[in-house]
Amino acid sequence: MSSSLLHPPGHLSPATALQHSQQAPSILNKSTGAISTSLFQSLLAAPETPELWITYENLLLSCLRTGDDESAHRCLGRLVNRFGNDNERIMALKGILKEAGASDAATLDVILEEYEQILQDNPTNIPILKRRVVLLRSMGRISESVSALISLLDISPTDAEAWAELADLYFSQGLYSQAIFALEEVLVLQPNAWNIHARLGEILFVAAKASGNAGQLAEALKRFSRSIELCDSYLRGYYGLKLTTKQLLSDPQKALSNRTASEGFVVPDSATLSKLDEMATEKLAEIVRRNSAGEKGWQGYDEAEIKATRELLENGSNVIIR
Amino acid sequence: MTWISNLTTAFGLLLLADSCYSAYEHSALQTHRAASLSSLAASHNAPTSTLPIDITIETIFATLTICLGIVLGTSNLRPIQWRVWAGKIEREGEAGFLNSSGEVEKDYIGNPFRLLESRPGFVDIRKQRKEFAEWVKNK
Repeated sequence: MSSSLLHPPGHLSPATALQHSQQAPSILNKSTGAISTSLFQSLLAAPETPELWITYENLLLSCLRTGDDESAHRCLGRLVNRFGNDNERIMALKGILKEAGASDAATLDVILEEYEQILQDNPTNIPILKRRVVLLRSMGRISESVSALISLLDISPTDAEAWAELADLYFSQGLYSQAIFALEEVLVLQPNAWNIHARLGEILFVAAKASGNAGQLAEALKRFSRSIELCDSYLRGYYGLKLTTKQLLSDPQKALSNRTASEGFVVPDSATLSKLDEMATEKLAEIVRRNSAGEKGWQGYDEAEIKATRELLENGSNVIIR
Repeated sequence: MTWISNLTTAFGLLLLADSCYSAYEHSALQTHRAASLSSLAASHNAPTSTLPIDITIETIFATLTICLGIVLGTSNLRPIQWRVWAGKIEREGEAGFLNSSGEVEKDYIGNPFRLLESRPGFVDIRKQRKEFAEWVKNK
């Protein structure tokens, strides 16, 4: 997880986001924000780098998140000065700013109207299409959000991020098979994404628990194994592997009866399952041990994940799924 | 490039400059000597002496030092196998990708697929603001 200002801040912990937004006044005051186009000055002064603008954009998002609206407006002002009002990304950032400042449903409706207006003029404005999906979802109009997202995917079917958002939308509504389909589309576009394999395994596990279909559990097993193949010492992969093998080992009757099920994968026999369980437990224990001991090459793991793993190893039978 | 590699390369460049200047001086001396000799004696040509061996040694040593300095200044090697590289990112995080001065390498982007889970194009800013406000309240 990179915490520099050069990368989108969506996944940062609140503490890091606060730290970034507190740097905002100093970064904004350091440069005047005026980029001159004269040849002479560009010879003397440092040339503008793409990193500068990316920093402004990520700073804007962090400031909005922590509530520092004034710095956010200043960042947006500089971006608009440089790129103009007609740039699609700038339009989306302006939309984000307006959404953040909206306090009631009427304002949100007005913003939605504005998005529709922009889309009338340019129906393939992808950033604004995405903003519309997010706004509809945020307002609670899920089915409209889903149809907007599907029409976006008709325009641009290779957008892995949009497929991932669709999977998340479906999963939040409990439509597991559609979510699985959408994530499989993401994997078609990005076959080496180990975290998406793990995510698909997690969704299959939840779906299998809901429906009792052991074929889905076997598929979840395969997904977690693939994520471990793609990434050594992948904590999330081993955690999912252990959960799935435990689930399969605890219902031997169901597993046997579904061995010849027409849909889903064949469940491996219990010897293989116990070997997998053993391997996963051993690896999880090693990760937890080395991370807690503070060993140098093992500190990249997330604190909350290590804590959950420790609980899993201690409990052995009671498992809570996020 | 660390200070040691910079120092070594600079030293090697100095040596090279010195040896090149010495060679130039030697050849200038040769032509001068030949010119003054030919003005005194009509046809007798003194055999031209070869380049002194210490200039040659200095040049070779300078080249080797420059090569050593540049090699010392290269960045750390990264893993080639996909799973080893991915494992390094997951296991070590930023700390595994420091360059020689201790800062995170410029082109380190972490897990490139985490954008598929954080989805910056779909950031729900209102939800994030609410969650942040609650986190501040609970702190």
